[in-house]
Amino acid sequence: MGSDSALEQTIEKITHNTEEQILSNLKEALKSSQDTLSNSQVSLEQEYDRIISEGKKEAEKLEKQIVGNADLDSRNKQLVLIEESIEQVFDKAIKKIQDADRNSDYSKLISSMLEESIRTIGTSDIIIQTNSKDKSVVQSLLSKFPGATLSQDTIDCLGGIKVQSKDGTMKFDNTIDAKLERLKPLIRKDIASKFGR
Amino acid sequence: MSTQGGVQYSKIAEIKGPLVVVDGVDSAAFDELVEIQTTDGERRLGKVLEVGNGKAIVQVFEGTTGLSVSGTSAKFMGKVMEMPVSEEVLGRVFDGLGRPIDGLPDPIASKFLDINGEPMNPEQREYPRDFIQTGVSVIDGMLTLVRGQKLPIFSGSGMSHNILAAQIARQASVVGTTDEFAVVFAAIGVQYSEAEYFKRSLEESGALKRSVLFLNLADDPAIERIITPRVALTVAEYLAYDLGMHVLVILTDMTNYAEALREISAAREEVPGRKGYPGYLYTDLSTIYERAGRLHGRKGSVTQMPILTMPSDDITHPIPDLTGYITEGQIVLGRDLFRQGVYPPVNILMSLSRIMKDGIGEGRTRVDHQEISNQNYDAYSRSQEVRALAGIVGKAGLTGVDLKYLEVGDSFEKDFLTQAVDENRTIEETLSLQWKVVSFLPKNELTKVKDKFIEQYYKER
Repeated sequence: MGSDSALEQTIEKITHNTEEQILSNLKEALKSSQDTLSNSQVSLEQEYDRIISEGKKEAEKLEKQIVGNADLDSRNKQLVLIEESIEQVFDKAIKKIQDADRNSDYSKLISSMLEESIRTIGTSDIIIQTNSKDKSVVQSLLSKFPGATLSQDTIDCLGGIKVQSKDGTMKFDNTIDAKLERLKPLIRKDIASKFGR
Repeated sequence: MSTQGGVQYSKIAEIKGPLVVVDGVDSAAFDELVEIQTTDGERRLGKVLEVGNGKAIVQVFEGTTGLSVSGTSAKFMGKVMEMPVSEEVLGRVFDGLGRPIDGLPDPIASKFLDINGEPMNPEQREYPRDFIQTGVSVIDGMLTLVRGQKLPIFSGSGMSHNILAAQIARQASVVGTTDEFAVVFAAIGVQYSEAEYFKRSLEESGALKRSVLFLNLADDPAIERIITPRVALTVAEYLAYDLGMHVLVILTDMTNYAEALREISAAREEVPGRKGYPGYLYTDLSTIYERAGRLHGRKGSVTQMPILTMPSDDITHPIPDLTGYITEGQIVLGRDLFRQGVYPPVNILMSLSRIMKDGIGEGRTRVDHQEISNQNYDAYSRSQEVRALAGIVGKAGLTGVDLKYLEVGDSFEKDFLTQAVDENRTIEETLSLQWKVVSFLPKNELTKVKDKFIEQYYKER
């Protein structure tokens, strides 16, 4: 009996010690898991914030790209449409000039063009070229410009004159076509302003 | 804009390199625009360089190839070269002479401006201030670009300056204000592939909407390169001073510009200066660089970032040398860093932004900006010395603090300097990275920053 009781006591002691050790291990494991969990929560939150912030950046970039390109596309289409309308206005204006009467006002215009040409070229010894329509107008003005002669060759233009010095070294293009080309940027602006630009 | 037509002269005395000498001219003006007409009706533009004794020397922008003395005529236009400007130029692509190459019509001009610009009244100049964020850490953090500043990038042949230029053009912005921002990008003598890269890069990022591109390609006549930066700056000045925008002008590559200037000078038989460049190279460059700035009473600003490749990486070459006299600092790209694969390979020890101090700090970037930047300079400089020492005595011969500086050097290049081509960092991110780099050091090594900032931002690594 005596030996049984000693055995029981030993077993109980071992069981108690083991139980305590297990409980202590469990406590340590719990603490370590809680620590790990709380640590990983911080890094998880940091990772979460990083992903969200990168996502936001990427979204902003995409938005900028899509909106920017769409804005530009629509603006460019508008530019093309305005340009087409400006060209139509130009075509109509050119037709009107072509069909214009060669009346006294027109004769005054040619006369002022001749004066301007002589002034620019710096000599009145000039040869004048014009189109077939304006030939008679120029011919009638020649008496006012001594030294000027009218070339028999005609040129292809809407109206106006081309002059050159008699030695052939200087030329001045004072046709309506040349004036239109020179003034086109300003005229385009005026026409565009009528379209609200 | 002058509406008066010009006289056409058909007596060409001589054609020499990019120059045409016209005879019998008595009323031409210096810098007057000239239209050269060939026998087959082709028209080329030029400008008067010299007038006198009945002769005019005309510099032909598109070159004189194919021109002959007989049959060529020169029409003096009675005006200087002008650039039509309006808000519509934004989002457009032009050639080196300012003609559209994007398939769209000419912009409807609000104004026609002389491409040589009007000299800024020094009295009216306002000191450059306020920060431009490029999204590139090394620039924002240590070589801050300030509105109205001229800050060049000195690079070398084959280095990544054009990639950096495109990144800056895509990402640059003004923070903390609703003011509008625009980028004028002038490519001078670049390859076709590079021009396409710039264009595509701006298109794909949506930044083209607020940009204007001028592309003078390597196979375009060299003489055109004289005009490209001037038309670009004319547009920039209009956007800045008429429309109130903050404009960043990127000019790449100014070396090609100087080469074109040398070509003309040689053709005019002028006495050459250093390396054959004309003696007036400094004056000529200043007529471009000095077009940056801010004006009293005007909202906008013109900031310039010219990029130049140094022949043989020689910083004493006349182009970087004279540029450095005019500009307010320089960003130098390092060949060693480039070879190591670092992008952007900025050698900060050779770089400097002289007026950075006026664009950073409280209310602009962050109160600790200047100090943390100084600390990074100091630490990186020391790390370079330690690297050199380690090369002689080996790492085993270094002290504990020296080893920390080695780590700082590595971290500086890996974490702070290195950046992806499409990575746009905010100033906050940049400053955090600067603190991260110096946090390798013990607190007592941080001698350039105040204790309160150390308490706030330092996290020992």
